[in-house]
Amino acid sequence: MRRPSSYGWFPAVSALTWRTIPYRFSSAFFLILSLVLLVFARAQPVALSSFRTHVVDGLAPVLDAAMRPMAALEQGEISVQHLLSLKTDNQRLREENLHLGEIQNTAIALKKENNELRALLNFKVEPGLSYISARVIADTGGAYERGLIVTAGRTDGVHEGMAAMTGGGLIGRVVEVGDWSSRILLISDLNSRLPVVIAETGDRFILSGDNSPRPKLLFLPRDSSPIAGYHVVTSGHGGIFPPNLPVGLIQETDQGKPVVVPSADLGRITFVRLVDFDLKGGAFNPIAVRTHSESPKK
Amino acid sequence: MNLFWHKLDSGLRHLIPALVSFLMALLTVIAWPVPWLGTIMPPLSLIALYYWTCHRPDLFPIGVAFALGLLTDSLSGLPIGVSAFLFTLAHFVILRQRRFFAGHSFIVLWLGFALTTFILTLMQYLILFVLRGEATPLFPLFFQTILGALFFPLPCWIFIRLQRTALGAE
Repeated sequence: MRRPSSYGWFPAVSALTWRTIPYRFSSAFFLILSLVLLVFARAQPVALSSFRTHVVDGLAPVLDAAMRPMAALEQGEISVQHLLSLKTDNQRLREENLHLGEIQNTAIALKKENNELRALLNFKVEPGLSYISARVIADTGGAYERGLIVTAGRTDGVHEGMAAMTGGGLIGRVVEVGDWSSRILLISDLNSRLPVVIAETGDRFILSGDNSPRPKLLFLPRDSSPIAGYHVVTSGHGGIFPPNLPVGLIQETDQGKPVVVPSADLGRITFVRLVDFDLKGGAFNPIAVRTHSESPKK
Repeated sequence: MNLFWHKLDSGLRHLIPALVSFLMALLTVIAWPVPWLGTIMPPLSLIALYYWTCHRPDLFPIGVAFALGLLTDSLSGLPIGVSAFLFTLAHFVILRQRRFFAGHSFIVLWLGFALTTFILTLMQYLILFVLRGEATPLFPLFFQTILGALFFPLPCWIFIRLQRTALGAE
């Protein structure tokens, strides 16, 4: 005969069974929760970005600490490479020095002429620049994204839309800003669209990232024929970046399609300079307006 | 007092699978001094998830898999929820097949991982295609999956050593 239950109308279950209930339902709970997150991410992608920036902010010191040995390792490797190529570098630099001397003379003459012409046209000079140097602590590459996380955030004066540059040229823009860290979307990312112009011909088009090292060109004018070796610079359209920031060189693929090889080596970036072109300000301001830091952040 | 230290020691040891997995997620995104490594970086956090779910599911509950997915999404820049869902689902399935994966030779464990990473990559590709409406180039994805499967024994060896030294007495 069945014993009457001590749980009222609930079926008789042992204490052990009650204890295992959370474990039984935890799978369903987390699966449903992750599905809800996924749907929410589709509907409100911006709402979850603050969660992401908080997580990255919290982990930035850990990533930074983990990067220290890497930086030392890389420095060691570079030193060895420099030593090995000392003689050839010296020869090359001598030749370059001669060539640069000639270029310098031309540049001085052009600068003088440029100043005179600007004065003649009452030309509005580019707005004052402010920039922040930051160390790369994470390469969020993977097969789906092309991005970096750097050690500078809101407290350093970083804001969304700032240009990320290296010595080579433009590499991307700031898309998420935390208190201590920021995320940069590289120009090679699938979601990156950049209005650019060919310096030699003035043809405008859109540089579109496709997650490959060489972004492609979109919306080429019909009569335009980009030639390998031509320089690609920002066009200034859209008001995000000023015109004439170096982006890369045109190269042809094996199929004859034009692509752009970025001026900066996107696969090997250690430090970046986040530049605020202050395009909203507009007026000429020869002195850096806000943060002005020459040395990389420690 | 001895009992307190014993409990603390035991508690910390029990955290090893979760902590190691989170460390793997960090190692995946660190800017290694090797050009373009980030593009083809093996999925270290998935390797950790697979190993610990197979061998110590009691120390690697589904909540940890969910948290690991959230961390991976936050660091990698993927839409929040993608890896969380896939890791939770992977944990759910692996847990039910663990006797088969972990109960035979290492080759079976390895093949199990290769199959898991292939299915998850395919699902991730489809989810991102739906979310973004744009297809990701397949070649890096394919290369990353193959590399992840080939790379599996190395972190696995480290996890085995860790399990034997830190958790072996239990």
